[in-house]
Amino acid sequence: MQRVAITHVAQSSGMESKESLMDFTYRVNKEILDKAGLKRREVGCIVAGSADIFHSGLSCANAFDWDGIGAFLKEGSRAEESAFSFIYGCMRILSGRYETVLVTALVKGSENPDNDPITSFYGDPFYLRPVGVNESVVAAMQMRQYLERYGVTEEQCAKVAVKNLGNALFNPYADRKRRVSLEDVMASERVYDPLKALECAPKSDGVVAVLLASEERAKTLSKKPVWLSGYGCSMDHFHPGDRDLLKGQLPAAAQRAYKMAGIDDPGKQIDVAEVCEPYAFQELLWCEHLGFCGEGQGGRWIDSGMPLMDGALPVNPSGGVLATNPYPARGLYRIAEAALQIKEEAGEHQVGKKVRTALAHSTHGFGGQCHSVVILSA
Amino acid sequence: MGNAVAIIGTGQTKHGRRSDVCYPDLVREAVTAALEDAGITLKDIDGIVLGTMPSMMEGVSSTHFYFAEAMGSVGKPVLKVETCGSTGQSIGHCGFFWVASGMADIVLVVGSEKMSEGDGQATMTTVFDPFFQRTFAAGAPGVFTMQSMEWMYRFKIPEEKGREAAARISVSNHDNAMDNPHAHIRTRVTMEDVKNARIITYPVRLLDVCPASDGACAVIFATGEKARKICRKPAWIKGLGFRGEEFFYGESDKAIWMSATEAAAEAYRQAGIRNPLKELDVAEIYNPFTYQEMIFYECFGFCPRGEAPDYVLKGTFLKDGELPCCPSGGTLCSNPIGATGLIRLAEAALQVTGKAGARQVEGAKLALSHAMGGVDQFNGVTIVGSEL
Amino acid sequence: MAKEEHRIVKGQVMVPYEVALGKTWSMFYDFLKEEKIMGKKCPQCSRVLVPPRSFCPRCFEDMDEWVEVSQEGIVETWVYVNMPFFAQELKIPFISAQIRLDGSDTGFIHQVAGIDLTEFEKVREIVKLGGRVKAVWSREKKGNILDIAYFEPVK
Ligand SMILES: [Zn+2]
Repeated sequence: MQRVAITHVAQSSGMESKESLMDFTYRVNKEILDKAGLKRREVGCIVAGSADIFHSGLSCANAFDWDGIGAFLKEGSRAEESAFSFIYGCMRILSGRYETVLVTALVKGSENPDNDPITSFYGDPFYLRPVGVNESVVAAMQMRQYLERYGVTEEQCAKVAVKNLGNALFNPYADRKRRVSLEDVMASERVYDPLKALECAPKSDGVVAVLLASEERAKTLSKKPVWLSGYGCSMDHFHPGDRDLLKGQLPAAAQRAYKMAGIDDPGKQIDVAEVCEPYAFQELLWCEHLGFCGEGQGGRWIDSGMPLMDGALPVNPSGGVLATNPYPARGLYRIAEAALQIKEEAGEHQVGKKVRTALAHSTHGFGGQCHSVVILSA
Repeated sequence: MGNAVAIIGTGQTKHGRRSDVCYPDLVREAVTAALEDAGITLKDIDGIVLGTMPSMMEGVSSTHFYFAEAMGSVGKPVLKVETCGSTGQSIGHCGFFWVASGMADIVLVVGSEKMSEGDGQATMTTVFDPFFQRTFAAGAPGVFTMQSMEWMYRFKIPEEKGREAAARISVSNHDNAMDNPHAHIRTRVTMEDVKNARIITYPVRLLDVCPASDGACAVIFATGEKARKICRKPAWIKGLGFRGEEFFYGESDKAIWMSATEAAAEAYRQAGIRNPLKELDVAEIYNPFTYQEMIFYECFGFCPRGEAPDYVLKGTFLKDGELPCCPSGGTLCSNPIGATGLIRLAEAALQVTGKAGARQVEGAKLALSHAMGGVDQFNGVTIVGSEL
Repeated sequence: MAKEEHRIVKGQVMVPYEVALGKTWSMFYDFLKEEKIMGKKCPQCSRVLVPPRSFCPRCFEDMDEWVEVSQEGIVETWVYVNMPFFAQELKIPFISAQIRLDGSDTGFIHQVAGIDLTEFEKVREIVKLGGRVKAVWSREKKGNILDIAYFEPVK
C-alpha cells in the first residue's frame, strides 16, 4: 500500500492583508516551493481549497485561484472546504499516479461580509433562511442544550476562549491576539445568548499550503516527513431539527479515522489535537465526541487542565479557530499545525511533550453538519 | 497504471425546466436512477462526491449540506469538488481517485444544477474579476463569440463556411436529442431555422446556443474487483486529464486553446491512444456553442487545426460518420451546468456498455467525454472503454 | 381543492464586498491617471503582461519591472453585445474587445466605441479583426478601468 506524507508547510501572516487575493496566495505558494526546493513545473498536481462567491465575491473560485496556486497547465482541481482538498490531494498520491501534490487553501475574510450572513446561505430558501438561521444561531441553540443536559457551566465554556486566545499569543500566524481573562469573556457581549462575542470566531485572512509526497519522494524531500495514518469524514442531516445536536456525526468520523490509524484509546494515543472550534463550547463537545473524555465531561475536562499547552493532551496550541478563522481554509490550518507539532517546527507554540501522533479536525455547516478527522504520525 | 476503476452505474433526470420538483428532489431522482442501474443500494456506497456551479446560480451555498439526504450521504464521507463548467468532469475524476487511492470501494458522484432558479449569465459575469474585465463581460455568449471569431480569423475560415458548418452541428445535435429521453430540447431544426434564428451575439444565433436547464446526473465508480462482481458490463476508466490556463481572458491563445489540447493529450497518453479519430468510437463533447464544438475537434486531434468545418461538412461527426460526436444531443440540447460534464461521462459509459438505447452508436468500445469551465479557462477529459 | 402546482418562491440576494486591489494593481490605476498604460515584464520568459501581475503565472517568479506599452494595438477579437442581463455595467449595444497593445504579450479586454454603434452591419464595416485601435481617455479619472473611456478604430 502506498503511503502519503506532508513534507512542507507554509502559511501567511494572520494579519489582515493589503495584497490582492492573487498576490496573497502567490507569496505562500512561492514560499513552500522554495522551502522544498521545487519548481512549479516539477509539482505533479495542485489542489485548491476555497469557497466561491459568498466568500470572495467571485463565482467559480478556482478561476481566480489558479494563477496564485501555481496551477497553469498543471493537473489540478479544487474542493470547497480545505480538509476536503487535503484528503483529495492524498488520494491523488495514494492512487500511485502522482509523486507530489501541492494543496493550498485561501481566503480573505477581511474582504467579505461577516460569517453570519455568509453561513445563512447554507440555509434553504424556504424554511431555514427566512427564519434567520445561520451557523451562530444553531451553535447557540446547541450550546444551550449542552449546558442544560450535562450541567456544563458557561464559565467552563468561556475557559476555552481564554486558553486558545492565550495560546495564540505564541503563534506568529494567528489573527486575534489579545490576552483575555475569564471575566473578559464572560462580560463580552451576548451576541447569540448564551454565546458571547469572545466565544465566537472572527473572520480572518489566510493562505496555507502543504506539500504532499509519496513515500519514496517524501524521504528525499524532507528529513522529517509527517505521515497520514488515519482519515474519517461523516455528514449529518441538513435540518438541525432532524438531529440531536449533541450527538452528531463526529464520533462516526473519528471512529473511521481511528480504525484506519489503529487507535483504540485516543485520549492516550493522541499527543496533540487541533480541533475546529468556531464557538468556544464546541471544543468541549468535540473533545467528548473524539473520545478524549466521557459524554458530558467536557467541562470537567477543561477544569482538569488536560487540554492546556502543557497538559496531557494539548488542544489547539495554535490558538485554534477562535484566534484565526479563514473560514474555508481553517481545516487545512488545523492539519498544517498538527504537522508542525510532529515536525517540532511550531516554534513558540510547540507543546512541551514529545509529539508522535497528532489529530486535526475540521467542521463546517450548522451545528457541525459535516466533520472530517485526520490523524498524522511521525 | 495504478488500480483499475470502473463505472458500474449511471442515472440522469429528465432535463429541462423542472419547476415540478424542489432542488434536493431533483438530485434524488438522479441518485435513485444510478443506484437502480447499478443494482446496488445506498448501503453499498462508501463515499459521495458532489459538485455544482457556484452558489450564485441558485442562491444556496455549499449544497452538500442541503442535499445530504437527497444524495444519501447521511452518516457517510463526502467531498465537494467544483471547477465551474468543468465541474462534471472534475467530480468524475475525484470519484476515480477516491477509488483508485484504495480509500473506498464504491463511490457515488453527483452533479446538479437548477438553472431556472437563478440568473446564469449574471453568475458567469461574476467569474470575471471586479478590477479589470467584469465591466466588459457579456456572459458566456460574449466570451464564446470572441473565441470563435478569433479562431475563424486565425485559420482564415470564411464566414459563410463557418456559418454553414455551425448550422450543421446545430441540426445534428437537435436530431440526436430526439433519440434521448433525458434531453431538454427535443425539436428538429433545419439549416434555415438555424441561419435565420435571432442573433444573440453575432455571428452566434439562438440555435447555436445551449438552453439553461435543470437537471442532475449520478455516476457510480467501483474498484475493478467490485465492478466485476456487481456489474455485468462495467465501463473502464482508461485515461483522464484536466488542465487550466491563466485567469485573465486574453492571456492565453484561445484559438489554439492549450488547456483543451493538453487535457486530451494527457488522457490519450494514459489510454494509449495515438490516433483519436481512428481509435475513438464516439465522443461526448461539452458543446454549449456550435462554433466552439469545432475548436474542440481540433484541440482533441480529430482533425488538423483550421479544418474542423471541412470535416463537419463532410459528415465525419454525424451519428453514422467516422467519429460520432454527441449522439445524446449534447450540451447544445441540455445544459444543467454542474451536471453537464458528468452527463458527458455517463453518456460515454452508456455507449461503451451498449446501454445507450436509441442513441447507441453500434459497437462502440472506446469513448471520450469532456467538459469546459471558467471563462474558457479549464478543460477536463475522461476516456472510458468496454475493456480494461 | 384548486390544483396549485409548481409554486415558486421569489427572492433576491445582495451581498457587499470590499476587495483589495493590492500594490501592483493600485499602481496600474495610478499610472492610468497619468494616461499611461503600464505592464509588467517577466525576468524569465520576457513576456509583458497587461494587466500587470506581481508574478508570472507561468514562470512563478516575481515581476518587478514596469514597462509602458503603447496606447494603440490590434483587435484580436471582438463581440457586439446587444443582449441585456442583470447587473450589466455598460449600456447596450457595446463592443467588448480583446486588444493586443503594441509592446505587450497578452490580450487586453476593453470596449471599442467612439463610432455609431446602433447598427451592427455598419459597425462591422469599421471594426475588424486585425484592425488597429487606440485608447481614448476619460477626462475625469476615477481610478478604475473606465479611466480609459474606450478604444476607437484608427483610420
Ligand atoms: Zn514568465
